[in-house]
Amino acid sequence: MTAQVPVDAEQGAEGVAAFDAVFPANVVVVTGKGGVGKTTVAGTLGLAAAAAGRATLLVEVEGRHSLSRALATPPWDYEEREFRPGLWGTSLDPTQSVLEYLELFYGLKRLQWALERSNALDFVTAAAPGLRDLLLIGKVYEIEARRTADGRRRYDTIIVDAPPTGRIVPFLQAPAGVTEIVRVGPIRRQAAQITDMLTDPRRTQVVMVSLLEEMPVTETVEGARALDAAGLRVGPIIANDAEPEVMSQADANLLARVGRQRLADVAATVGITWQEDDVDALRRVGHDHRERLDQEAEMARRLDSIDHVPLLTLHHHDVGPRELLPAVLADELIAEAVRVVAST
Amino acid sequence: MRASQEAGAGGGASGTGSGRTRLASAIADAEILVATGAGGVGKTTMAAALALAAARMGRTALVITIDPARRLAQALGLEELASSPQRVLDDDSGGTLDAMMLDMQSTFDELIDRHAATPDNAAEIKANRIYRTLSSSLSGTQEYMAMEKLHELHGLGRWDLIVVDTPPTRNALDFLDAPARMTSFLEGNLLKLLLRPAAAAGRGYLRIVGFGASAFMKVAGRVTGMELLDDLGAFFANFDGMYEGFKQRADEVLRLLRQPSARFVVVATPEPPALREARFFVERLQQEGLHLAAIVVNRVQPAVGTADAAALRTAAEALGEDRNDRAVAAGLALLAHLRDTSSRHHHDIAARLRGPAAAHIVTVPRQARDVHDLDDLVRVGQYLTGTATSADLPATAGSRS
Repeated sequence: MTAQVPVDAEQGAEGVAAFDAVFPANVVVVTGKGGVGKTTVAGTLGLAAAAAGRATLLVEVEGRHSLSRALATPPWDYEEREFRPGLWGTSLDPTQSVLEYLELFYGLKRLQWALERSNALDFVTAAAPGLRDLLLIGKVYEIEARRTADGRRRYDTIIVDAPPTGRIVPFLQAPAGVTEIVRVGPIRRQAAQITDMLTDPRRTQVVMVSLLEEMPVTETVEGARALDAAGLRVGPIIANDAEPEVMSQADANLLARVGRQRLADVAATVGITWQEDDVDALRRVGHDHRERLDQEAEMARRLDSIDHVPLLTLHHHDVGPRELLPAVLADELIAEAVRVVAST
Repeated sequence: MRASQEAGAGGGASGTGSGRTRLASAIADAEILVATGAGGVGKTTMAAALALAAARMGRTALVITIDPARRLAQALGLEELASSPQRVLDDDSGGTLDAMMLDMQSTFDELIDRHAATPDNAAEIKANRIYRTLSSSLSGTQEYMAMEKLHELHGLGRWDLIVVDTPPTRNALDFLDAPARMTSFLEGNLLKLLLRPAAAAGRGYLRIVGFGASAFMKVAGRVTGMELLDDLGAFFANFDGMYEGFKQRADEVLRLLRQPSARFVVVATPEPPALREARFFVERLQQEGLHLAAIVVNRVQPAVGTADAAALRTAAEALGEDRNDRAVAAGLALLAHLRDTSSRHHHDIAARLRGPAAAHIVTVPRQARDVHDLDDLVRVGQYLTGTATSADLPATAGSRS
């Protein structure tokens, strides 16, 4: 597979190996609290995986088209389409999954019309316990099981932009839940197979995206515990939108002590006039920057204290209207994978 | 670019006075305030700050929050928020602040108790597996329950002002659609057609409901072992007759929200997706005949100093290699970055919230740390209503002297 965003030649093989080590599973489920950039990170992972030479499928399950938007491509639908070399996208819909399922197992072409007309499926998928989630994961299972003519997996990596942290455990446990309700028949058997896929650490891993702020960190720590208890492989955790460090504590201290006169002189030598406000702002800016970094460092320590779960950090980037944030972050993600692998 | 100039040297407190005035008057005389917006924008903090501001004016206020951060509960002086109103503050002015957390399940259960034909009926519904899933996972249920709780507590007449924080939905509009979706769902004409025969007389009567339904039932029965369908049938049989009650209730809630004494506070951040969502929401409020108090744009980088970013960068590059100079150069570069961020924020706000919406904007500066205690919340409230400037906010990047 050729990739649109090839890994930096310097980083090349090392980057690919590190990415493989940190993201070894066939299915990478991406979750995170609302507002943390979960979808951006899912897109970033897609670009990075494709850059590492993997045939990669990005999957949307919430029907919002936010993942395709993050990657600046037209909205996806149920059909899997290659929108960049080595990178496919699809938007899953539970109703379509049911129809596909019924057709596959029962040849029910004739029934389809009646069902589509009646909205019955919308109701059943909304009302039956976990059925909607089961159908979505079931479709992911079907994709994961797919093989090409020469027996290789159709996609090396399937990245799922999953529901937020608050709903991720019920989402991933839907197959297990269904086996409680449906006691016989093919659905029960298939649900058990899906559960096997989800709880096999070589086949499924759950990436948790957080900000380095109190609420998302707390939710991430609790979510990681719940996912672990549910038998899922958790990690890595990705801290998104971190403040880039541009000034050391020592320099911040120096800056705060630089005299007003000295600052005024600096301004004069380069020909800018500034007001009292500017001098105040300059003396304070280093302190504020360090305070933010310290707070983030404390949050990062909390995230990093989860056993056996590596922490990768992506920083804030200001991107222009013509740049793609996930493309900028993909390079940083691979560099972080290299760093984490080297440190273990 | 107007907003950018307005927010100039003063650090953001000037210029957007009409939004602040509206918020101040809402705190003084509204009976209901609904804080809404995309997830993660700071709705809960804003809701708590507004209720606290009202309490400090001498009003009796209640804030209903959904899944608050533990630190916010602590900021309110509570270890954890309970699902019934708890006293947070008895103010010298005579005002009080109560806070509570929405417990979805018990709210839904109460609703069932109220509308079910008999207590047995209610008990049977509450034990039904379909109901248990529905009450927790059907999209819009949380929103509907928040409105339901608001209606109930407003009806008690115990509070001058109730502030509701809406659930962190994937789409802020969900909650406006929730009552209609909920009632049309429960009405479920089609579903009754599909399921009533199964419920009323076992599976034998399936024949009468036509090919589509019966074939569907057969297939569904074959793959699920029929138990799921029995549950569904039982659920709808028990729900019979309750639909009218639900519908009436949903209409009452909507009527309550349309009164001029109920106002909406749309919360956003200066990122384009959140601003876009805020704009949609404001337009939708207008269409629905609902009243907007303000659009609060949270975490806006205030303009820092007066020198422009390019001049600051030139100055940074011109400095020497001396350690002090390097520190100053790094400071200048940081300052330039903050100025760029500030202009981008103000530009995006002005571009996305044009027209009549612009008069409702209240910007809140980005802060270095979360709200820690009641004093922090007091300051946020003062800032929202224009009685304080950003300089009074805790550790506000670039606005404190």
